[in-house]
Amino acid sequence: MENMQAVNNFVAAYLKKKGFKEAEQLLEDLQNKDSAPIDFHNDPELAKFIHHFSQSEDDVARYQDGYSKLRSWTYSSLDLYKHELLRVLYPVFIHSFMDMVAKGHLQEARTFFNNFREDHELMHSRDLQKLEGVLSQSHLEEMEFARSLRQSKVNIKICQYSYDLLLQYLHKTQSTAMLGVINEHINFQVSSGQPSSISDDAEVVTLIGSCQDTANQINQKEIHWGLLEDSLEERLEKAGGLLSDSEKTEEENKEGDGDETKKRSVESGKQGASTKKLKKEKALNATAKSARPEASTTPAAPRVKAKLPLPLMSTEVEQSILEDLRNRVQLSSVLLPSVSFYTFLNTHNGLNCSSISHDGSLVAGGFSDSSLKVWDMAKLGQQGGSSILQAENDSTSSEHVVGPNGGKRSYTLFQGHSGPVHSATFSPLGDFILSSSADTTIRLWSTKLNANLVCYKGHNYPVWDVQFSPVGHYFASASHDRTARIWSMDRIQPLRIMAGHLSDVDCVQWHANCNYIATGSSDKTVRLWDVQNGECVRIFIGHRSMILSLAMSPDGRYMASGDEDGMIMMWDISSGRCITPLMGHSSCVWTVAFSCEGSLLASGSADCTVKLWDVTTSAKVPRNEEKSGNPNRLRLLKTLATKSTPVYSVQFSRRNLLFAAGALSKNL
Amino acid sequence: MSNVPKEAIEVIAQSIGITNLSPDVAIALAPDVEYRVREIMQEAIKCMRHSRRTVLTADDVDSALNLRNMEPIYGFTSRDALRFKRAAGHKDLFYIDDKDVEFKEVMESPLSKAPIDTSVTSHWLAIEGIQPAIPENASVEAAPSDGKKAEYKDDGTSVDVKLPVKHVLSRELQLYFDKIAEITMNRSFSVVFKQALLSLATDSGVHPLVPYFTYFIADEVARNLNNFPVLFALMRVARSLLQNEHIHIEPYLHQLMPSIITCLVAKRLGNKFTDNHWELRNFAAKLVASICKRFGHVYHNLQPRVTRTLLHAFLDPTKTFPQHYGAIQGLAALGPSVVRLLILPNLEAYLQLLEPEMALEKQKNEIKRHEARCVYGALLRAAGLCMYDRLKMFPSLLAPPTRPIWKSNGKVATTNKRKASTDNLMQQPPAKKIATESAMGMMPINSMQADVQGAASSFSNTVGGSNIGVSSMTRPLSNDNMLGREVGGRVSKTSTVLAQAWKEDTDAGNLLASLFELFGESMLSFTPNLSFHSSFD
Repeated sequence: MENMQAVNNFVAAYLKKKGFKEAEQLLEDLQNKDSAPIDFHNDPELAKFIHHFSQSEDDVARYQDGYSKLRSWTYSSLDLYKHELLRVLYPVFIHSFMDMVAKGHLQEARTFFNNFREDHELMHSRDLQKLEGVLSQSHLEEMEFARSLRQSKVNIKICQYSYDLLLQYLHKTQSTAMLGVINEHINFQVSSGQPSSISDDAEVVTLIGSCQDTANQINQKEIHWGLLEDSLEERLEKAGGLLSDSEKTEEENKEGDGDETKKRSVESGKQGASTKKLKKEKALNATAKSARPEASTTPAAPRVKAKLPLPLMSTEVEQSILEDLRNRVQLSSVLLPSVSFYTFLNTHNGLNCSSISHDGSLVAGGFSDSSLKVWDMAKLGQQGGSSILQAENDSTSSEHVVGPNGGKRSYTLFQGHSGPVHSATFSPLGDFILSSSADTTIRLWSTKLNANLVCYKGHNYPVWDVQFSPVGHYFASASHDRTARIWSMDRIQPLRIMAGHLSDVDCVQWHANCNYIATGSSDKTVRLWDVQNGECVRIFIGHRSMILSLAMSPDGRYMASGDEDGMIMMWDISSGRCITPLMGHSSCVWTVAFSCEGSLLASGSADCTVKLWDVTTSAKVPRNEEKSGNPNRLRLLKTLATKSTPVYSVQFSRRNLLFAAGALSKNL
Repeated sequence: MSNVPKEAIEVIAQSIGITNLSPDVAIALAPDVEYRVREIMQEAIKCMRHSRRTVLTADDVDSALNLRNMEPIYGFTSRDALRFKRAAGHKDLFYIDDKDVEFKEVMESPLSKAPIDTSVTSHWLAIEGIQPAIPENASVEAAPSDGKKAEYKDDGTSVDVKLPVKHVLSRELQLYFDKIAEITMNRSFSVVFKQALLSLATDSGVHPLVPYFTYFIADEVARNLNNFPVLFALMRVARSLLQNEHIHIEPYLHQLMPSIITCLVAKRLGNKFTDNHWELRNFAAKLVASICKRFGHVYHNLQPRVTRTLLHAFLDPTKTFPQHYGAIQGLAALGPSVVRLLILPNLEAYLQLLEPEMALEKQKNEIKRHEARCVYGALLRAAGLCMYDRLKMFPSLLAPPTRPIWKSNGKVATTNKRKASTDNLMQQPPAKKIATESAMGMMPINSMQADVQGAASSFSNTVGGSNIGVSSMTRPLSNDNMLGREVGGRVSKTSTVLAQAWKEDTDAGNLLASLFELFGESMLSFTPNLSFHSSFD
């Protein structure tokens, strides 16, 4: 009868907790009457349930227990299904931990966390570092990361059999705590057939709460990644026919190693039929490198209209750019670029960023002492040379914004910021520099006048990055305030504000057609935004740490992003999928850049190397192959080691000369 | 439960003047402190990244505090690492040692130098993908090690790894080299090999392959010490290369010599008893001699080095007989003067060592005995040739047939009997066989009968004294006076005669006598033929 009484009490407690007032009342009545007690013992299911419910008070131990059992079961499961089941462990782990914290069992939560964190260290070390700090219920509320995790469900793709296995296990062992966590926080997408391959786990890497669903939705949106109509390159192609006569000799020298040469020759029709055939074969091979149409009649890369009113370009400038394009070296995996390296000396650890103008003649460095310094490399070479040039130097330096001994300085000092300068960018023509600083402002400087022209205020927190658009005039900025903004040089207010990232926006980059910008963030995602309406049109998920650098391929089809761990990911913009991760760097990838015709990718890293990667090989991967297994097709072509100089920026000139810059640091 | 102990909270509370902090508050605060510290550090790391650094500095923490609208912590901006010291008497209390600075001192101290201003230099990191070897670039050796690994890791098959080959061999030469190497290694008994050797010895086009061949020989000799046919084949290849007049082999001699010397004086060559390593040693000895002869004038230290090596091998009693054999053969091949200078002075002492090894009673091991006999034969030949050379140079020595005293014959004969008995067992070069037969008959004809007798009498004396070994090389001056050209020198002991053999003016007759004393009548076969015939008449 005592036992009976206990059962009654449990039932009453349960009903009370669940808020079944009527049932509770009924039970009480029944008990009071004590006429015919329900035979609980004859119903084993019910008894079991009640039994578990009775344990709910010490459920903290059950989390620990249940998780460790689930873990050992998973590890001993069949190899074929193991990796799928392993994916389940991580969300179960973090949610168990947060449940325990939420219930106030902080000590136990901490031990639980420390016991099992090693399992997930490899994949999720940064998330774990964040969660490690969660020590009370209030932290759960306060911390955005934890909140978003709690509020959303994790999507896990799992095959039917693994799913059955898991359910079977959970039922058999009656680990209701685990079952609860799984039901509450995991959304299984059960697929029939074979389990998916291990490498296809991009989604699992980042748990960003609700993002997953929206990301999928967002990534359905249409993107016009084609190049701009009437761009200079297109004009060059058209003009090619006229120019070909004068450049025929050059053409013959360069025969076979360049698109432009080819195009010109095709149009001028001066080459034999055999070479044409060759070219056609090549064209077939280079399916993805089709941005350059082989013949003007069938453009493979779609042309799009600019959504922004584009600035006009003077004819002289246009001519000089055309000249550059004509003289461009055609790089490929067999013809690697020449690299000119600019080393900053005696920076006293103060150099925060560097930037190189398109022609490599100007180098800018942003320093933590709020200064921006610009070196004119052409003058640097001539210094102490002819007296005429010296005099010229002196005459110009009087106009410089410089200190007392400005004449002796090898650089132009731009002072105006009141916080560390985190980014600098040259306008495409090299006549303006933009710098962004921790003082929340962006400043526009003129290299002609050596003076500050405009101070753009709009961000509320340090501005981490600023980038001129490929056509100039417009620029984009990224800030700690979790927004990216689009500006134009002539307005002091931003034109667009892109909000949506869950953490700092660390880097920003323009798409080749100026209609989109990409932003990389500390929330480990890269987003693509429509410049015209400010909407997020793509979310690229896959990085495991903060994204530090972005680059867009000149054909507008691909994007490369480098992160804190040394990983570079190559993305297909239209599908939003990662084509291939590029492993090779051992430390932060500060900078990435595509060569002008898009065949090479250069990356600079804190591990003191510049690496060159082959882009075209990856492009040849057929679609279906891409989806299954993601073979590591992008080849590392060359590693160029510097002398203990971390590489801060790399930049291809219009003629495909690669410039790189970094500060010599002794204590590496 | 938190990494921050509640004691730390209490200490901090005390430091800002709160003395009555209740333990509950401390416990509740500790986790929050930890959370806030983590939050600040997270922001600080962001600031670090945006300053393009991988090391966190105090400045980063300050900027992180700034981001949170907090006052930065002043006084920690020094560039050097902060050194925390443990407070005495407290387990968990640390402080930074902050020295009191005298204001006056600071004022009076000279201004420190202004830091060097930032500058930019430019250099070529790569020219068309290839890093030029300039001081601005990292050394090339360091870089590719990890670069190559990464390449292999990324894509094992399609990476074109370029080997650092400075001059490129033509396809034909590569094939030629591969073919020769293959024949040498596997088919050294075939006719093709002979053709190959001929080709190597005569072809003028093999010059580009010389470094490869020398390396090949050196490499394979080191690897195939127990493979006799290969060693022999390699030596033949070496000889062919040396014979080739069109190639310039001098720069590679230093690679080649060790291998040849190895084949001469190695402890073991081949792994079977049947392997005729004696022959290989003879071959190598000839090779060494030819090299010394050909290049001795270019590399003046070549022959001294070779002889030193061989002499060491010869004089080292711990070395095996085959090694001694090789050394003797090598020295003998270098010419009679080398033998006279280096072997003869040590001959007697060496023979004393050798004697018991050859005797049936003392050395039971058949192989050892055989080896000892081989060495004996080599010594005999070396000494004999040396003597032959002397006798030929001074033919007059044999001319005067001063009829010796016959009575001494018996005595000599007795000594010779003993020798002869051993000689019978001895393996000898076939040419010398006759000598053993006619030993008794020839004795009287020896013009140096008297010397032999004198030497023989002294033989017993010197048997005991074994101090004439290497020390006799020191050419004691006093002996010079003692030894005259005349026959009076007969009083001198065999050992001194041998020791003085290097001296041009030492009587060749004395030498012969001494050698006869040591080797018995077999030595006579080395006297010039002319004298033999005349004596038989």
